[in-house]
Amino acid sequence: MSSIDSAGFRTADDVPQEMRGDLAALLLSLADNKRLLGMRYAEWLLGAPTLEAGIACSAMAQDEWGHSRILYAMLKDFGEDPGRLEHQREADEYLNSELLDDPPGEWTGLVALNFLLDAALSVQFESLKDSRFEPLHYKVRKVLEEERFHFEHGRGWLARMAQTPAGREALEEALTPAWHTCLRWFGAPDGGLVARLAEAGISDARPDELRARWLERVGPIVREAGLGLAERDESGAWNSAAELDWSDWDGSRRRSGGGAVNAETLAGVRGDRNRAMLMD
Amino acid sequence: MGHLSGEHLYEIFARQKREERLEHIGTVSAPNAALARAYAWQTYDVQKWFEMVVAPREAFEAVNRDEEPFTLSPAEAR
Repeated sequence: MSSIDSAGFRTADDVPQEMRGDLAALLLSLADNKRLLGMRYAEWLLGAPTLEAGIACSAMAQDEWGHSRILYAMLKDFGEDPGRLEHQREADEYLNSELLDDPPGEWTGLVALNFLLDAALSVQFESLKDSRFEPLHYKVRKVLEEERFHFEHGRGWLARMAQTPAGREALEEALTPAWHTCLRWFGAPDGGLVARLAEAGISDARPDELRARWLERVGPIVREAGLGLAERDESGAWNSAAELDWSDWDGSRRRSGGGAVNAETLAGVRGDRNRAMLMD
Repeated sequence: MGHLSGEHLYEIFARQKREERLEHIGTVSAPNAALARAYAWQTYDVQKWFEMVVAPREAFEAVNRDEEPFTLSPAEAR
Protein backbone atom coordinates (compact mmCIF):
# COMPACT_ATOMS: atom_id res chain seq x y z
CA MET A 1 0.00 0.00 0.00
CA SER A 2 2.96 2.31 0.54
CA SER A 3 3.32 3.02 -3.14
CA ILE A 4 -0.19 4.49 -3.29
CA ASP A 5 -0.52 8.22 -3.05
CA SER A 6 -2.83 8.45 -0.05
CA ALA A 7 -3.82 12.10 -0.28
CA GLY A 8 -7.45 12.69 0.69
CA PHE A 9 -10.28 13.75 -1.59
CA ARG A 10 -12.39 16.56 -0.20
CA THR A 11 -15.11 16.42 -2.85
CA ALA A 12 -16.33 14.00 -5.49
CA ASP A 13 -14.62 16.13 -8.11
CA ASP A 14 -11.26 15.42 -6.48
CA VAL A 15 -11.74 11.67 -6.88
CA PRO A 16 -9.86 10.46 -9.97
CA GLN A 17 -12.15 9.53 -12.81
CA GLU A 18 -11.18 5.85 -12.74
CA MET A 19 -12.32 5.48 -9.08
CA ARG A 20 -15.37 7.67 -9.24
CA GLY A 21 -17.72 5.16 -10.85
CA ASP A 22 -16.79 2.45 -8.35
CA LEU A 23 -17.23 4.76 -5.38
CA ALA A 24 -20.63 5.94 -6.65
CA ALA A 25 -21.68 2.31 -7.15
CA LEU A 26 -20.62 1.43 -3.60
CA LEU A 27 -22.58 4.36 -2.15
CA LEU A 28 -25.62 3.43 -4.21
CA SER A 29 -25.37 -0.20 -3.14
CA LEU A 30 -25.27 0.81 0.52
CA ALA A 31 -28.12 3.29 0.02
CA ASP A 32 -30.35 0.78 -1.75
CA ASN A 33 -29.74 -1.95 0.80
CA LYS A 34 -30.47 0.41 3.64
CA ARG A 35 -33.58 1.79 2.00
CA LEU A 36 -35.00 -1.71 1.50
CA LEU A 37 -33.86 -2.99 4.88
CA GLY A 38 -35.69 -0.03 6.43
CA MET A 39 -38.81 -1.17 4.63
CA ARG A 40 -38.40 -4.68 6.04
CA TYR A 41 -38.02 -3.32 9.58
CA ALA A 42 -41.08 -1.12 9.08
CA GLU A 43 -43.16 -4.15 8.13
CA TRP A 44 -42.77 -5.42 11.73
CA LEU A 45 -43.68 -2.18 13.42
CA LEU A 46 -46.98 -3.77 14.32
CA GLY A 47 -47.12 -7.49 14.92
CA ALA A 48 -43.61 -8.04 16.27
CA PRO A 49 -43.42 -10.67 19.05
CA THR A 50 -43.34 -7.96 21.74
CA LEU A 51 -44.31 -4.32 21.89
CA GLU A 52 -40.69 -3.41 22.60
CA ALA A 53 -39.52 -5.24 19.47
CA GLY A 54 -42.07 -3.28 17.42
CA ILE A 55 -40.74 -0.01 18.81
CA ALA A 56 -37.20 -1.16 18.03
CA CYS A 57 -38.23 -1.98 14.45
CA SER A 58 -39.75 1.45 14.09
CA ALA A 59 -36.53 3.07 15.32
CA MET A 60 -34.36 0.89 13.08
CA ALA A 61 -36.57 1.61 10.05
CA GLN A 62 -36.15 5.33 10.64
CA ASP A 63 -32.40 4.93 11.10
CA GLU A 64 -32.05 3.00 7.83
CA TRP A 65 -34.09 5.52 5.87
CA GLY A 66 -32.03 8.31 7.37
CA HIS A 67 -28.80 6.57 6.34
CA SER A 68 -30.04 5.90 2.83
CA ARG A 69 -31.17 9.49 2.41
CA ILE A 70 -27.70 10.75 3.37
CA LEU A 71 -26.14 8.41 0.81
CA TYR A 72 -28.53 9.31 -2.02
CA ALA A 73 -27.87 12.99 -1.29
CA MET A 74 -24.10 12.38 -1.49
CA LEU A 75 -24.51 10.96 -4.97
CA LYS A 76 -25.56 14.38 -6.24
CA ASP A 77 -21.88 15.34 -6.30
CA PHE A 78 -21.28 12.34 -8.53
CA GLY A 79 -23.67 13.71 -11.14
CA GLU A 80 -26.70 11.71 -10.00
CA ASP A 81 -30.15 13.17 -9.37
CA PRO A 82 -31.12 12.01 -5.85
CA GLY A 83 -34.80 12.52 -6.65
CA ARG A 84 -34.55 10.10 -9.54
CA LEU A 85 -32.56 7.62 -7.46
CA GLU A 86 -35.13 7.67 -4.69
CA HIS A 87 -38.35 7.79 -6.68
CA GLN A 88 -37.94 6.85 -10.32
CA ARG A 89 -35.87 3.74 -10.75
CA GLU A 90 -37.02 0.33 -11.87
CA ALA A 91 -36.54 -2.76 -9.71
CA ASP A 92 -33.56 -4.06 -11.68
CA GLU A 93 -31.73 -0.75 -11.19
CA TYR A 94 -31.63 -1.29 -7.41
CA LEU A 95 -28.32 -2.68 -6.16
CA ASN A 96 -29.88 -4.61 -3.29
CA SER A 97 -29.02 -7.97 -1.82
CA GLU A 98 -31.35 -10.75 -2.90
CA LEU A 99 -32.20 -11.17 0.79
CA LEU A 100 -34.29 -8.01 0.52
CA ASP A 101 -36.24 -8.91 -2.63
CA ASP A 102 -39.21 -10.25 -0.67
CA PRO A 103 -40.48 -9.67 2.86
CA PRO A 104 -39.43 -12.37 5.31
CA GLY A 105 -42.59 -14.22 6.26
CA GLU A 106 -41.41 -15.04 9.77
CA TRP A 107 -39.85 -13.11 12.61
CA THR A 108 -36.78 -15.37 12.35
CA GLY A 109 -36.31 -14.06 8.80
CA LEU A 110 -36.31 -10.51 10.10
CA VAL A 111 -33.81 -11.52 12.78
CA ALA A 112 -31.58 -12.92 10.00
CA LEU A 113 -31.72 -9.59 8.15
CA ASN A 114 -31.15 -7.68 11.38
CA PHE A 115 -28.31 -9.77 12.73
CA LEU A 116 -26.53 -10.84 9.54
CA LEU A 117 -27.26 -8.43 6.70
CA ASP A 118 -27.40 -5.23 8.77
CA ALA A 119 -24.06 -6.26 10.29
CA ALA A 120 -22.62 -6.89 6.82
CA LEU A 121 -23.63 -3.38 5.76
CA SER A 122 -22.01 -2.00 8.91
CA VAL A 123 -18.77 -3.87 8.24
CA GLN A 124 -18.68 -2.34 4.77
CA PHE A 125 -19.42 1.09 6.27
CA GLU A 126 -16.69 0.68 8.83
CA SER A 127 -14.18 0.08 6.04
CA LEU A 128 -14.90 3.66 4.91
CA LYS A 129 -14.39 5.45 8.20
CA ASP A 130 -10.87 6.59 7.31
CA SER A 131 -11.56 6.71 3.60
CA ARG A 132 -9.57 8.93 1.30
CA PHE A 133 -13.00 10.24 0.31
CA GLU A 134 -13.25 12.58 3.28
CA PRO A 135 -16.96 13.53 3.09
CA LEU A 136 -17.66 10.01 4.39
CA HIS A 137 -15.81 10.36 7.69
CA TYR A 138 -18.40 12.06 9.86
CA LYS A 139 -21.34 10.35 8.18
CA VAL A 140 -19.91 6.87 8.65
CA ARG A 141 -19.35 7.50 12.36
CA LYS A 142 -22.91 8.72 12.78
CA VAL A 143 -24.28 5.65 10.98
CA LEU A 144 -22.16 3.25 13.04
CA GLU A 145 -23.26 4.87 16.30
CA GLU A 146 -26.86 4.03 15.48
CA GLU A 147 -26.04 0.63 14.06
CA ARG A 148 -24.57 -0.45 17.36
CA PHE A 149 -28.09 -0.86 18.70
CA HIS A 150 -29.31 -2.68 15.61
CA PHE A 151 -26.61 -5.23 16.31
CA GLU A 152 -27.61 -5.50 19.97
CA HIS A 153 -31.18 -6.06 18.89
CA GLY A 154 -30.24 -8.84 16.50
CA ARG A 155 -27.94 -10.58 18.93
CA GLY A 156 -30.51 -10.27 21.71
CA TRP A 157 -33.18 -11.96 19.63
CA LEU A 158 -30.78 -14.63 18.50
CA ALA A 159 -29.99 -15.48 22.12
CA ARG A 160 -33.66 -15.31 23.08
CA MET A 161 -34.84 -17.66 20.35
CA ALA A 162 -31.95 -20.07 20.68
CA GLN A 163 -33.09 -21.04 24.17
CA THR A 164 -35.32 -23.82 22.87
CA PRO A 165 -34.60 -26.60 20.35
CA ALA A 166 -37.55 -25.45 18.20
CA GLY A 167 -36.26 -21.88 18.26
CA ARG A 168 -32.77 -23.00 17.28
CA GLU A 169 -34.15 -25.01 14.39
CA ALA A 170 -36.21 -22.07 13.12
CA LEU A 171 -33.21 -19.77 13.43
CA GLU A 172 -30.96 -22.15 11.58
CA GLU A 173 -33.44 -22.40 8.76
CA ALA A 174 -33.66 -18.62 8.45
CA LEU A 175 -29.99 -17.89 8.99
CA THR A 176 -28.41 -20.48 6.69
CA PRO A 177 -29.32 -18.89 3.33
CA ALA A 178 -28.67 -15.40 4.71
CA TRP A 179 -25.29 -16.55 6.02
CA HIS A 180 -24.01 -17.51 2.59
CA THR A 181 -25.60 -14.56 0.85
CA CYS A 182 -23.97 -12.13 3.27
CA LEU A 183 -20.56 -13.74 2.85
CA ARG A 184 -20.90 -13.49 -0.91
CA TRP A 185 -22.18 -9.91 -0.76
CA PHE A 186 -18.69 -8.66 0.10
CA GLY A 187 -17.67 -9.64 -3.42
CA ALA A 188 -15.47 -12.09 -5.28
CA PRO A 189 -11.98 -12.45 -3.77
CA ASP A 190 -10.26 -11.12 -6.88
CA GLY A 191 -11.36 -8.12 -8.84
CA GLY A 192 -14.68 -6.38 -8.51
CA LEU A 193 -15.40 -2.91 -7.25
CA VAL A 194 -14.92 -3.70 -3.55
CA ALA A 195 -11.40 -4.91 -4.24
CA ARG A 196 -10.61 -1.98 -6.53
CA LEU A 197 -11.83 0.54 -3.95
CA ALA A 198 -9.62 -1.08 -1.31
CA GLU A 199 -6.63 -0.85 -3.61
CA ALA A 200 -7.42 2.82 -4.22
CA GLY A 201 -7.58 3.57 -0.49
CA ILE A 202 -11.24 4.52 -0.64
CA SER A 203 -11.97 1.65 1.74
CA ASP A 204 -9.53 -0.19 3.98
CA ALA A 205 -10.47 -3.80 3.26
CA ARG A 206 -10.68 -6.18 0.34
CA PRO A 207 -13.57 -8.66 0.13
CA ASP A 208 -11.83 -11.47 2.04
CA GLU A 209 -10.87 -9.09 4.83
CA LEU A 210 -14.46 -7.80 5.02
CA ARG A 211 -15.68 -11.40 5.26
CA ALA A 212 -13.20 -12.08 8.04
CA ARG A 213 -14.36 -8.99 9.96
CA TRP A 214 -18.00 -9.94 9.59
CA LEU A 215 -17.35 -13.52 10.69
CA GLU A 216 -15.43 -12.26 13.68
CA ARG A 217 -18.44 -10.19 14.67
CA VAL A 218 -21.31 -12.61 14.08
CA GLY A 219 -19.49 -15.96 14.32
CA PRO A 220 -18.96 -16.16 18.09
CA ILE A 221 -22.56 -15.15 18.80
CA VAL A 222 -23.96 -17.67 16.36
CA ARG A 223 -21.76 -20.35 17.89
CA GLU A 224 -22.78 -19.37 21.41
CA ALA A 225 -26.41 -19.71 20.34
CA GLY A 226 -25.61 -23.31 19.44
CA LEU A 227 -26.39 -23.03 15.74
CA GLY A 228 -24.75 -25.59 13.48
CA LEU A 229 -24.09 -22.82 11.03
CA ALA A 230 -20.92 -21.70 12.76
CA GLU A 231 -19.53 -25.12 13.64
CA ARG A 232 -17.98 -25.61 10.26
CA ASP A 233 -15.87 -22.52 10.87
CA GLU A 234 -14.29 -23.87 14.01
CA SER A 235 -11.54 -25.55 12.01
CA GLY A 236 -9.47 -22.43 12.29
CA ALA A 237 -9.74 -19.60 9.81
CA TRP A 238 -13.20 -18.10 10.01
CA ASN A 239 -13.10 -17.32 6.34
CA SER A 240 -15.35 -19.65 4.38
CA ALA A 241 -15.12 -17.86 1.04
CA ALA A 242 -13.93 -21.06 -0.62
CA GLU A 243 -17.34 -22.62 -0.08
CA LEU A 244 -19.22 -19.82 -1.79
CA ASP A 245 -20.94 -20.42 -5.09
CA TRP A 246 -20.23 -17.65 -7.57
CA SER A 247 -22.00 -19.19 -10.56
CA ASP A 248 -24.95 -16.75 -10.61
CA TRP A 249 -23.08 -13.76 -9.13
CA ASP A 250 -23.69 -10.38 -10.73
CA GLY A 251 -20.73 -8.30 -9.55
CA SER A 252 -22.15 -4.98 -10.69
CA ARG A 253 -25.24 -5.39 -8.49
CA ARG A 254 -23.51 -7.47 -5.79
CA ARG A 255 -26.18 -10.14 -5.90
CA SER A 256 -27.50 -13.12 -7.84
CA GLY A 257 -28.24 -12.20 -11.42
CA GLY A 258 -31.74 -11.82 -12.79
CA GLY A 259 -33.76 -11.21 -9.63
CA ALA A 260 -34.99 -7.93 -8.21
CA VAL A 261 -37.06 -6.45 -5.42
CA ASN A 262 -40.77 -7.30 -5.66
CA ALA A 263 -43.29 -4.83 -7.13
CA GLU A 264 -45.10 -4.03 -3.91
CA THR A 265 -41.92 -3.22 -2.01
CA LEU A 266 -40.66 -1.17 -4.95
CA ALA A 267 -43.84 0.90 -4.97
CA GLY A 268 -43.40 1.46 -1.23
CA VAL A 269 -39.77 2.54 -1.29
CA ARG A 270 -40.28 4.76 -4.33
CA GLY A 271 -43.28 6.41 -2.74
CA ASP A 272 -45.50 5.68 -5.74
CA ARG A 273 -48.62 6.68 -3.82
CA ASN A 274 -47.18 10.16 -3.40
CA ARG A 275 -46.26 10.61 -7.03
CA ALA A 276 -48.79 13.43 -7.53
CA MET A 277 -46.98 15.48 -4.89
CA LEU A 278 -43.56 14.80 -6.39
CA MET A 279 -44.65 16.55 -9.60
CA ASP A 280 -44.75 19.91 -7.81
CA MET B 1 -49.02 -7.63 23.61
CA GLY B 2 -48.19 -9.63 26.69
CA HIS B 3 -44.81 -10.64 27.96
CA LEU B 4 -43.12 -13.66 26.52
CA SER B 5 -41.85 -16.15 29.02
CA GLY B 6 -38.31 -15.48 30.22
CA GLU B 7 -38.75 -11.71 30.19
CA HIS B 8 -37.19 -9.55 32.89
CA LEU B 9 -37.66 -5.94 33.84
CA TYR B 10 -34.64 -3.73 33.37
CA GLU B 11 -34.37 -0.33 35.01
CA ILE B 12 -32.91 2.44 32.88
CA PHE B 13 -30.74 5.25 34.21
CA ALA B 14 -29.37 8.09 32.12
CA ARG B 15 -27.85 11.54 32.12
CA GLN B 16 -27.74 14.14 29.38
CA LYS B 17 -24.58 15.92 30.48
CA ARG B 18 -21.32 14.74 31.98
CA GLU B 19 -21.83 16.92 35.06
CA GLU B 20 -25.30 15.57 35.77
CA ARG B 21 -26.12 12.55 37.89
CA LEU B 22 -27.67 9.43 36.48
CA GLU B 23 -31.42 9.52 36.92
CA HIS B 24 -33.95 6.75 36.73
CA ILE B 25 -35.81 7.41 33.49
CA GLY B 26 -37.86 4.26 32.96
CA THR B 27 -38.19 0.52 32.63
CA VAL B 28 -38.12 -1.96 29.76
CA SER B 29 -39.04 -5.60 29.58
CA ALA B 30 -36.51 -7.80 27.81
CA PRO B 31 -35.29 -11.42 27.87
CA ASN B 32 -31.61 -10.50 28.06
CA ALA B 33 -29.21 -7.62 28.52
CA ALA B 34 -28.52 -7.15 24.80
CA LEU B 35 -32.19 -6.59 24.08
CA ALA B 36 -32.58 -4.45 27.19
CA ARG B 37 -29.82 -2.17 25.89
CA ALA B 38 -31.36 -1.98 22.42
CA TYR B 39 -34.88 -1.37 23.71
CA ALA B 40 -33.78 1.22 26.25
CA TRP B 41 -31.82 3.21 23.68
CA GLN B 42 -34.47 2.97 20.99
CA THR B 43 -37.41 3.70 23.28
CA TYR B 44 -35.96 6.66 25.15
CA ASP B 45 -34.55 8.33 22.07
CA VAL B 46 -36.06 11.81 22.33
CA GLN B 47 -33.12 13.20 24.33
CA LYS B 48 -29.49 13.02 23.40
CA TRP B 49 -27.86 11.07 26.23
CA PHE B 50 -24.32 11.39 27.46
CA GLU B 51 -24.71 8.08 29.28
CA MET B 52 -27.36 5.42 29.59
CA VAL B 53 -27.12 2.25 31.66
CA VAL B 54 -29.54 -0.58 32.42
CA ALA B 55 -29.74 -3.08 35.26
CA PRO B 56 -32.12 -5.94 35.93
CA ARG B 57 -34.67 -5.03 38.58
CA GLU B 58 -33.70 -8.19 40.51
CA ALA B 59 -30.29 -6.63 41.10
CA PHE B 60 -31.76 -3.96 43.38
CA GLU B 61 -31.94 -4.47 47.12
CA ALA B 62 -34.66 -2.75 49.10
CA VAL B 63 -33.05 -0.67 51.83
CA ASN B 64 -35.86 0.79 53.93
CA ARG B 65 -39.14 -0.55 52.57
CA ASP B 66 -40.65 -3.99 52.73
CA GLU B 67 -42.09 -3.73 49.21
CA GLU B 68 -40.17 -4.80 46.11
CA PRO B 69 -37.90 -2.04 44.76
CA PHE B 70 -39.53 0.25 42.17
CA THR B 71 -43.05 -0.79 43.20
CA LEU B 72 -45.66 1.38 44.81
CA SER B 73 -46.94 0.62 48.28
CA PRO B 74 -50.62 -0.39 48.42
CA ALA B 75 -51.50 3.10 49.64
CA GLU B 76 -49.64 4.84 46.80
CA ALA B 77 -51.13 2.58 44.17
CA ARG B 78 -54.71 3.52 45.05
